[in-house]
Amino acid sequence: MQNKPLSFSVDIKLNKRRNLANFDYSIVLTVLLLGLFGLAMIYSATGSYALVLRQAIYFFLGVILMIIAAMSNFRKMEPIYLNAVWIGFFLLVLVLVLPNSGTTNRWINLGFIGFQPSELMRFLLPISAAAYLTRNPQIKLSDWIIVLITTLVAFILVFLQPDFGTSAIVLLSGIMPIILSGLPWRYIIYSFLGGIGTLPFLWMSLMDYQKERIYTFISPETDALGSGWNIAQSKIAIGSGQFFGKGYMEGSQSQLDFIPESHTDFIFAVIVEEFGFLGALGLFLLYAFLIHRLLYVAKRSNSKFAKLVSATLSIILAAYITLNISMVVGIFPVVGMPLPFISQGGTALVVNMITIGIILSLRRTT
Amino acid sequence: MNNFSRESLNTGKEYSRALFFLSPFIFLFSISLFQVLNLTLLQGDKYQTIAESNRIYQKSINPVRGFIYDRKGTLLAENIVQRDLYVTPAYIKDSSKTILTLSNLLNMPYELLEKNFSRGVKKAKKFDSFPLVKALNEEQIAKAKVNLDSISGIEVKATLKRYVLHEETLAHILGYVGDISFDDISRNKLLAEFQNTQIGKTGIEKDYDLILRGKPGIQTQERDVKGKLVRVLDTLGAEDGKDIYLSIDQELQEHLFKLFENRRGALVALEPKTGLVRALISSPSFNPNILNSILDTDEVESLFSNKESPIFNRAVSGQYPPASTLKPFVGLAAIENEIISWDKKIKDDGKFYVEGDPRPYRGWKENGHGRVDMRKAIAESSDVYFYTIAYDLTLSGIRPMLDSFGFGKKTGLTNFEANGLLPDKKWKLGYKGDFWFKGDTINLGIGQGYILATPLQLAMAYSGLANRGVIYEPQFIQPKDETSFEPKKAAEIQLSDKKAWEKMEQALVDVISARNGTAHKVFDANSAVIAGKTGTAQIKSILPGKEYDAIRKNPALRDHALFVGYGPVEDPKLVVAVVIENGESGSEVAAPIVKSAINFYAGGFNAE
Repeated sequence: MQNKPLSFSVDIKLNKRRNLANFDYSIVLTVLLLGLFGLAMIYSATGSYALVLRQAIYFFLGVILMIIAAMSNFRKMEPIYLNAVWIGFFLLVLVLVLPNSGTTNRWINLGFIGFQPSELMRFLLPISAAAYLTRNPQIKLSDWIIVLITTLVAFILVFLQPDFGTSAIVLLSGIMPIILSGLPWRYIIYSFLGGIGTLPFLWMSLMDYQKERIYTFISPETDALGSGWNIAQSKIAIGSGQFFGKGYMEGSQSQLDFIPESHTDFIFAVIVEEFGFLGALGLFLLYAFLIHRLLYVAKRSNSKFAKLVSATLSIILAAYITLNISMVVGIFPVVGMPLPFISQGGTALVVNMITIGIILSLRRTT
Repeated sequence: MNNFSRESLNTGKEYSRALFFLSPFIFLFSISLFQVLNLTLLQGDKYQTIAESNRIYQKSINPVRGFIYDRKGTLLAENIVQRDLYVTPAYIKDSSKTILTLSNLLNMPYELLEKNFSRGVKKAKKFDSFPLVKALNEEQIAKAKVNLDSISGIEVKATLKRYVLHEETLAHILGYVGDISFDDISRNKLLAEFQNTQIGKTGIEKDYDLILRGKPGIQTQERDVKGKLVRVLDTLGAEDGKDIYLSIDQELQEHLFKLFENRRGALVALEPKTGLVRALISSPSFNPNILNSILDTDEVESLFSNKESPIFNRAVSGQYPPASTLKPFVGLAAIENEIISWDKKIKDDGKFYVEGDPRPYRGWKENGHGRVDMRKAIAESSDVYFYTIAYDLTLSGIRPMLDSFGFGKKTGLTNFEANGLLPDKKWKLGYKGDFWFKGDTINLGIGQGYILATPLQLAMAYSGLANRGVIYEPQFIQPKDETSFEPKKAAEIQLSDKKAWEKMEQALVDVISARNGTAHKVFDANSAVIAGKTGTAQIKSILPGKEYDAIRKNPALRDHALFVGYGPVEDPKLVVAVVIENGESGSEVAAPIVKSAINFYAGGFNAE
């Protein structure tokens, strides 16, 4: 037997004494490690203290919010979680209404600080969805439909910005609670087929630069100095790192600016160039361990809400990690997704930290 | 029911579905790891190489080209600093705007700059610069320096350029240098490492290019994605080219060049005892500096399109009928083959008939020279005498002697020599599609017909007369110590009668010294005694019923004037061959130059 009554009773005792004691410290440690490593890599990629400092401030903010979230009692937070999605919708509409610069409309600029509401949405939506679906002991079909509609609206709002990558994530973040909460398989299969049916329409609504990225992915050689150049240079950086890497700050591809977006989307290439296969393996293990620990929360929790939230957020996080890395190593189209906890970018970092905090809070049993 | 059992029951649906939907990501995650493994470990070496070539840029450091001096250490060719306007296409946004600005600034035609630019862009790599305007003048440099900061992608670079001091005088000896062309690189891959440098194209500059050029150094630079220099990783210094001392005597060269007065022709003067070339002229000449700094001007075009072909080196590549200058060799062949003896006289009435052919072979003198022996036949240049002995010798009797004196063969002085032509039956059948007739042999006897020789070959052949049969390989390079210099023999001709050399020399001395000599006009008691022979090479054969006077109305059809000789005969210092194209009379135009050359060079004589 895996769980002995004795150890369980110890657990309860500790819980009674202090909530903090129930944290999975290995998760906290992993996240802190990733975040600090990210700061170091941003410095290597940019050589700019200012950027690192900015990111460090976000990181610090993220740590505080993570701790606060982790210490919260999710059972008491449920009404807030239920309505959190409205904040997301408000901001998404706001970002579309506000005057914008350039071709995309992703940022809300508060003068001193800017953030991306879509990044917020992919975290608020699953929490609200999970809260909504579990508010009654039994889930009705209408509950699922309402969540689905909400999700599609959120998806369209992000898609309109337009942000292909994040809108897909938002879609996933809303659909996951529906599926995980027990939607019968036949509905899942119907919706999946229906989704495929809409692909041609989706393709037609893509912006040119988005189509370009997919073309480039399919055949990178056609445009060696255009978008294919990014992937080619990224692969050169990764390959040239070989087994041990070239050493911190010694990657010629990153130091001489051959890697595009080296401090954001392509930071994984910098890591492998400078720390080699060994470094990549270490990072893979850290991420795998993190996802494993986060899912463990879903496995062990006795609350349906907790299970839905932790499982969905873990999958979203896993999606980010996987899609970013597979894009950088050239086996997936360039979709423009940051590498969680490492890529430069304040909103994503803070949101990810809060995500961790909330999942940590779900471990509470009372 | 305790918490524990409820929890384990609940693990069910959500968790297993989560794992199910996580599986595509786990799959992608694993593939990514394999891809990293593939890129770093399996293809790591390849990507390492690509990454290196991304960052490493090898810039060549040009060596300084060696100087050229004459035998006495007079500087003939050096390098001067030239300022060129360079452009880097990668940093120019709007090329036509930039060109327009430059055209106004430098006061140069827009079209020219446009042409240079588009030509350069094709050749240069993205971040390489190339010269747009070469050899800026003082005013342009001043203007450029003030304004260049405001024009991106433009810089003034100082480069070393070849400069020949005596310009026209030395053009054909030194040749010129030029940019490395694609052709050059395709012929010699090693040249690719020389960037924006010049290599020898003709003459000494080409023949001794490897010595003069030196070895380029290489600076290994690290450059960023924009091609900007980040740091210098390694510098391997250039090995400068070595200086060359030529056997040319610049004073003699200059003196003789003036005597040509730009007439079309050529001169080769060399020391018979060493083969060292002391002067070499091809006229008209050109200023090699025009080509050395490769200014893209009309001057270059006109040089190459000039009908007088100033670029062409007549001295080594010009092929002329040797005419009567060939007679001594035909004479020696006849003596050697015992066709005739020195004293045997032949009646020359101006015409020579071959059996069965009513058409006469005419001598240059209408009524002939009367009864002539070899000495008189050479001195007066009797054609009938040589028709007769050539007829008796036949082709197979004449050819070996001419061949051993080097006719029809390259001497090895430069890479730009012509072969000349020593015809035989096979050649005639192949090139003319006809059999060898007796008439061809008769014409060969007086150096006409198919035979062709370069001035260099004539000088070499006469050095054989001066040396009693020994011919030394000609060379342009001055030995360190002339007295201990041992020249290489190119040929050694053995005559069964050793006295034949003196006898032939006596006949050749008569050409100037004897009152009946064809070049007695230039006789001068204060001059060194010269052994030589005049020649008048017909360009167009005179058809029956047509007189030469009618032909000479067209200057281009007038005879070439030749004189080849050596002296002083007691101790031959110099052998000189001169050809003046369409100069008509060897004694009048060519002989004075030969005489002047020998007297000037030997010293102690009147060189006028």
